[in-house]
Amino acid sequence: MQRTIYLLMACVFAGHLSTAGGRLQAAENNGHPQLEAIYREKLIPLLRTYCWDCHGDDEEVTLSDANSVTDLRSNREVWVRALAQIRNGTMPPADGPELDPELRIQFGEMLSEVATSVDCVQDPNAGKVAMRRLNRFEYRNTVRDLTGVDYQAAGGFPGDDVGYGFDNIGDVLSLPPLLMEKYLDAAIAITGEAIYTPPAPLLFEIEKQAAQLDGASRFARGSTAALSSRGTVSLKTNLPFAGRFKLTFRARGDQAGDEPVKVEVSSGRDTKVMEVPSSDPQEYSIWLRLGRGERTIDLSFINDYYVQGKADRNLYLFSVKLEGEQQLTAPQISPDLPKSHRRLIFVTPDETTTADDATSVILSRFASRAFRRPATESETRRLVQLAAKVREDGGTFEAAIQVAMQAVLISPHFLFKVERSSVEVGGKSKALNQYELATRIAYFLWSSMPDDELLLMAHEGVLNDEKRLLAKVGRMIQDPRSNQFVEHFAGQWLQLRNLATVEPDSSLFKDYNAEISDLMRRETMTFFAGVMRANLPVVTLLNADFTYLNESLADYYGMDGVRGDQFRKVSLVGTPRGGLLTHGSILTVTSNPTRTSPVKRGKWILDNLLNTPPPPAPPNIPELEKKQASGTLREKMEQHRQNPACSACHQMMDPLGFALENFDAVGRWREREGGHDVDASGELPDGTQFHGVEELRALLSGRRGNDFVRCLAEKMLIYATGRGTEYYDQCALDELVEFVAKNENRFAYLIAGVILSDPFQKQGHRE
Amino acid sequence: MPETISRRTMLRGLGTSVALPMLNVMSPTRLLAAAGSNDASPLRMAFLYVPNGMHMADWTPVDTGKAYAMTSTLQGIAKYRESFNVLTGLTLDGARAHGDGGGDHARSVAAFLTGAHPRKTNGADIQNDVSIDQVTAEQVGRATRFASLELGLEASAQAGNCDSGYSCAYASNMSWRGSANPVAKEIDPGAVFDRLFGGQTTKEARRAKTTREKYHKSVLDFVLEDAKKLHKTLPAVDRRKLDEYLYSVRDVESRLVGVDRLQLTEEGVPDFPRPAGVPQELTKHAELMLDMMTLAMQTDSTRILSFMFTNAGSNRSYPEVGVSEGHHESSHHGKSEHKQQNIAKINRFHMDRFAYFLSRLHQVRESNGKTLLDNSMIVYGSGISDGDRHNHDDLPIILAGGGAGRIQSGRHIRYENGTPLCNLYLWMMRQMGAEGDRFGDSTSEIDRLGEVS
Repeated sequence: MQRTIYLLMACVFAGHLSTAGGRLQAAENNGHPQLEAIYREKLIPLLRTYCWDCHGDDEEVTLSDANSVTDLRSNREVWVRALAQIRNGTMPPADGPELDPELRIQFGEMLSEVATSVDCVQDPNAGKVAMRRLNRFEYRNTVRDLTGVDYQAAGGFPGDDVGYGFDNIGDVLSLPPLLMEKYLDAAIAITGEAIYTPPAPLLFEIEKQAAQLDGASRFARGSTAALSSRGTVSLKTNLPFAGRFKLTFRARGDQAGDEPVKVEVSSGRDTKVMEVPSSDPQEYSIWLRLGRGERTIDLSFINDYYVQGKADRNLYLFSVKLEGEQQLTAPQISPDLPKSHRRLIFVTPDETTTADDATSVILSRFASRAFRRPATESETRRLVQLAAKVREDGGTFEAAIQVAMQAVLISPHFLFKVERSSVEVGGKSKALNQYELATRIAYFLWSSMPDDELLLMAHEGVLNDEKRLLAKVGRMIQDPRSNQFVEHFAGQWLQLRNLATVEPDSSLFKDYNAEISDLMRRETMTFFAGVMRANLPVVTLLNADFTYLNESLADYYGMDGVRGDQFRKVSLVGTPRGGLLTHGSILTVTSNPTRTSPVKRGKWILDNLLNTPPPPAPPNIPELEKKQASGTLREKMEQHRQNPACSACHQMMDPLGFALENFDAVGRWREREGGHDVDASGELPDGTQFHGVEELRALLSGRRGNDFVRCLAEKMLIYATGRGTEYYDQCALDELVEFVAKNENRFAYLIAGVILSDPFQKQGHRE
Repeated sequence: MPETISRRTMLRGLGTSVALPMLNVMSPTRLLAAAGSNDASPLRMAFLYVPNGMHMADWTPVDTGKAYAMTSTLQGIAKYRESFNVLTGLTLDGARAHGDGGGDHARSVAAFLTGAHPRKTNGADIQNDVSIDQVTAEQVGRATRFASLELGLEASAQAGNCDSGYSCAYASNMSWRGSANPVAKEIDPGAVFDRLFGGQTTKEARRAKTTREKYHKSVLDFVLEDAKKLHKTLPAVDRRKLDEYLYSVRDVESRLVGVDRLQLTEEGVPDFPRPAGVPQELTKHAELMLDMMTLAMQTDSTRILSFMFTNAGSNRSYPEVGVSEGHHESSHHGKSEHKQQNIAKINRFHMDRFAYFLSRLHQVRESNGKTLLDNSMIVYGSGISDGDRHNHDDLPIILAGGGAGRIQSGRHIRYENGTPLCNLYLWMMRQMGAEGDRFGDSTSEIDRLGEVS
């Protein structure tokens, strides 16, 4: 009996316990009667048995000096570390008392309760998000919405690292010099594309060694052309534009007789004679007017002089260079200005408007949109000064605007979501200001800047008005821009992004290819978006009887009746498929290249659907692996589970994964595997039995439905705020889940609940 | 009279695309290197990381000294036997669990060049330490346009948990400028080329700079002031973020001087076709990237480089050598013959790419008559020893290159097991001219590298 209870708490159900007890109604100063009892009657005996030998009184790290729960919590940091050690299986140490794996889990749960459950009445800490840099997707979207330029090269920015499963976590988004360099390049390119300025002139430059010139072979001495008698060498080239070119050659002369060495330079049209009076190498230059296209420039040694044994005049030519700059004339017809140009430069200087005034209006608007709040007067003034400087140097009005806009695009106020409503350590949580809130909402749902409507609402201060806020959020969900939320939130939550990197063995899975992989990804994205936009109950994600397919993917799944490339809603009634767990994308991403991995699939469910990640595998697994297991995959896994160190969690992971065995490593249905009928039955440690995907689906969306909603809520909160959840977020999550439940667990209320939650609305502090 | 002419002049004269190597008369070092640097053949160092440890049975030579028999993995670089040492017994204590449980892969990458024990976190309050390349670059990196370069073949992880409780920042970055500042790597050889050579190609016609391209410095100065003002108003957590921003702005600004100089001169733009993006084939990708490293070293654009074949714990498969199972999966071979063969093939695949790199370095002759390889110290290895056991002692480490005469190569040197890997780094950093008594968990400088034995 006792064993069953412990197992109940293992893995999957761990979430339950902290949910139920995580929210305490008793105020802190009234004590914690229930917790005191747990602490005294259950925890202290465990601590005595497993910890106090080394962590008793007067030890460096002592776990024996807390007389009450309040006492213990005053020293929370130590206990949180102890908790991590217990959960990681790293304490007690190998030579200490052996802690039964199931008891270990319960020990962890109780300690977590006592040390970190939160008093929700006491206005818990709303948490502190480290200032978030725009990640590369947000950057590209924001630039597009701000300037109208789609800066595709943002895809080549260094990858944004992932924390808590997402790539928009403030702590993890770093800004190394490499990225700053790319931001600067991007700012130059973006302003150049958004605003038209005349192209810069072409430059031409060619340089050759003399020996490589036409006709030089008979004079060649190494790379030099040594002309000891009359002769001509030629530079042949193709000029991209007509104009004045400067010819420079490097030469020296053996001087003799009564005149210096003379070189005749001929471009066909003009002929000039140059003197080479020095015996040391020097450069000689001449300007030539040349037409476009194939050109030949001859260099001739014209005054050879030779008296045997007495005098010898020679020319040594080392190299020849031709360079020129295109002279641009103003275009006869003014070009079609890009739309972005007309939108950004909506005023130009004229008799009544000075350049500074026009610049000021343009940049004030631009910076306000870029900073997602009104630009201050001094900010605008400085930008105007920067632009003025460019004009003083001779730049045009437009070019000056371009430069000032570059300063905006690499400003910290643009690159970071600055939240100045932050408080220092220990302070009371503070509500974000309206603009900061608008910014959070926009990046949450659109991965981009707020639109004008949202900024206007912030300006009017009506984002506190729950009704108006939710109406706006509803419109934002329906807007195509919320595809970005699907792409990045669902793409990472469900690990669809990893599809691009899994490589199923092409000799085993001939039907699988990059195209199918992409269609699978689209199926899941479209499905997620469909559930979200139709505002269906959240568990529909798990138990839907429909999906979205096109002909190729339907064929791959072995389904008839879908024609054409378009994705459309397809009923799955009467098929084994339905819900995320049967999507090819997820089945593939949780498999090994050559076979399915029930462990990975089970772990994926625990991690991503139930939010009860199994603890890391204990050390010394190789010892187990050395005993060669035999039989079917299921038999091998069962042998492994004999080891008690593994069984606690594998008893959870493996059955969940085995229920999906009717789907192969690339998501196709199968009845047989390796010559055997597929056995997709499973039994959880608490005795819950299920067979195949259908019953697993029923379990997860039915009895475990609330766990799933809570899991999704927590993942979404992490994504929305850009930080990992901490113990003090329990209250907010409880409220959030309650709010969603009151609204039939419908999807839009989950999003709304996240936005209304304290961690989203406020900044607290780091503990 | 010998005439020094620009390399480009000569290459154009030849009218063909001449691949490396170049003649020493054209060594572009003199123009690209910082003013005042007269040392035309400086010492370089580079660190190449391979994931998932090694199949050590195929790695470690039985005998020590010069007469050791090549093992099958090392066979890949046997041709350069006289130019490298195999170092065994080196240990990375920081990568061990020390009570933090699983996550050896992420931990070993984060520790590989830092010797630190990274704080276990999925994101909040990341903490590692400064890596050897960055410590050295900080002190001696000013001699070149780029204090250091960080390169790799695999972008940061895209989703999920990177390694039991460790943020992907640990798993994807081995170069760290500060305890919370990983230095992202570039994976596109075309982008590396552009960075190194200012986007220049050897084309005769190019466009002049437009007005908007001439104000880098004003724009950077402008935001620097912005950031300083903002700094005062932020809480500590955010200030750390802004510090990083400030550092990067200043770093880019200081480098612009070098870029301008590059654009003033013709020289130093190598006649190497600009790589067009990231190739599909891993082999080609790796070779192009290693070409870029060679170019960077050869043109003295930088003297300090790091390169990651993949991120930590990569489970990539290697159809290139007939391995359809994932690397990580195979590394936990549990004595399976098949898996051990696979892991040996993958180890060899990486080693063959390393051989390519050595061949490039060997082809470049420098002005002191030595090869680029002679003038380098190249570390190749992993922060995990046996990928099946996840141990962090007796690491697979190769030190290639002559260290500009400081290293006697061609040997297998066995150090007492447990000798900190950081002892090697401490020694290397001092050879580079950087000062310091300690690095990471070093106990002393490593010995025996310069001995003739």
